[in-house]
Amino acid sequence: MSTCPPATSNIDIFSDDVLMNTEATFKELREMAAVVYLPNNNTWAITRYEDIRNALSDTTTFSSKSVAFNPQMNQVLAGTSLAADPPEHGKLRAILSDNLSPRALRKMKAPIYEKADELVGELVRRGNFDGMADMAVAFPVSVVLDLIGVRGELREKILPWGEAAFNLLGPMNERAQDSMPVAQELFHWTHEVMRGEDLAEGSIGRNIWEAAERGDISHDSFGYIVHQILAAGMDTTITTIGNALVLLGLNPEQFEELRNDPKQAPAVLTEVLRLRTPAPVFGRLATQDVEVDGTVIPKDSQVALLYGSGNLDPRKFENPEKFDISRNAVDHLGFGYGTHTCAGQGLAKLEIHGLLEAWAKHVKSYRVGEVVQRLNNFTRPYSSIEITDVIPD
Amino acid sequence: MSNKITLIELDHSRCEGHGLCEEAAAHLMHLNDEGELIIDVKEVGSKDIDAAREAVRVCPVAALKLVSS
Repeated sequence: MSTCPPATSNIDIFSDDVLMNTEATFKELREMAAVVYLPNNNTWAITRYEDIRNALSDTTTFSSKSVAFNPQMNQVLAGTSLAADPPEHGKLRAILSDNLSPRALRKMKAPIYEKADELVGELVRRGNFDGMADMAVAFPVSVVLDLIGVRGELREKILPWGEAAFNLLGPMNERAQDSMPVAQELFHWTHEVMRGEDLAEGSIGRNIWEAAERGDISHDSFGYIVHQILAAGMDTTITTIGNALVLLGLNPEQFEELRNDPKQAPAVLTEVLRLRTPAPVFGRLATQDVEVDGTVIPKDSQVALLYGSGNLDPRKFENPEKFDISRNAVDHLGFGYGTHTCAGQGLAKLEIHGLLEAWAKHVKSYRVGEVVQRLNNFTRPYSSIEITDVIPD
Repeated sequence: MSNKITLIELDHSRCEGHGLCEEAAAHLMHLNDEGELIIDVKEVGSKDIDAAREAVRVCPVAALKLVSS
């Protein structure tokens, strides 16, 4: 077997520039090669759809022990399903999915849709609002916090905590260092301060606490799970709602299609996740030398799986840069794939489908004004999205 | 004449009830009221093989397999 010397690039995929220009950077890397070594990140990036999907299917070669891009965070994550490999992974994942899977949440559909409808109705009455603060943030926060059973002033802390946690999944650059104290607060709260009694009776949080009290899981696990749900469960959903508002606003003829058939909401979400992957890069550790499309990634290397690049790969998606809700490419990489596929996707879908259906039912047309982005090592958050001229149906 | 049989195999421990399989191959499987996957057609004939392959492909947790004997 002959292999080529690796393609390399001096790009730092966690720099401000790249975070602001993710798609263009990914395109460059993807066109360069299937595997590109990034010396500035000391990381091997896998850029194309099929190779990423194959890597995700091979948890033996591509271990989640370095899912984050700095050793401190990987250490912190060591008790979670996110950073575990099979066979340990199974039990940790089961605790999450017992409470968060579509199966577990099937009775939540009606109340979540109702809540969405109420919120959208209220925003449409206003006519102008901030798509982020008033919808994309307000809704998931309220749903997740109710689910976990968090009450009172803690609710305000949740968002900055989540964003800090995401920054720390990247390298320990300045952005991550600045996030340390905030992230530590969340960790401290979920592992040391929070008690089951603090959480509302009947909530998922309370249920998991009771499982710990019964000895089904350790109290440590309880902390980790709540931490995971709070840290991972919001920013990505929030960003995606923002992206949906922007993309439908920019493509009114497709919004019209959704209005004519609100049951297309899932197809809309699928395409939003593909085109604007909210968490576009995840880490892995190569546990042995592995050849990917002619390049050998050496044992013990940090690998970056560029989900966001795979989702725009013309080898898989025709006309990949086009927002097209009829595509319904359910095998996009926005939720990952396989063993570690997003455990919260069932909940995210309930929330976002609910909002999209309500938006389609209540709104005839709207405009997107100023859009302000923010920088985060791992996600692509918005600070604000001006929604104006909402004409009710 | 070879008698190849293709079976749909479900790893119950992986299944979380996402339902993408049901969307891809509604005539082969469905989620019941408890959110559990029921394989209605275990042995896949040539007219169903494409839908079966699609169901396997789209399962987010890779809980489905096609097994040939």
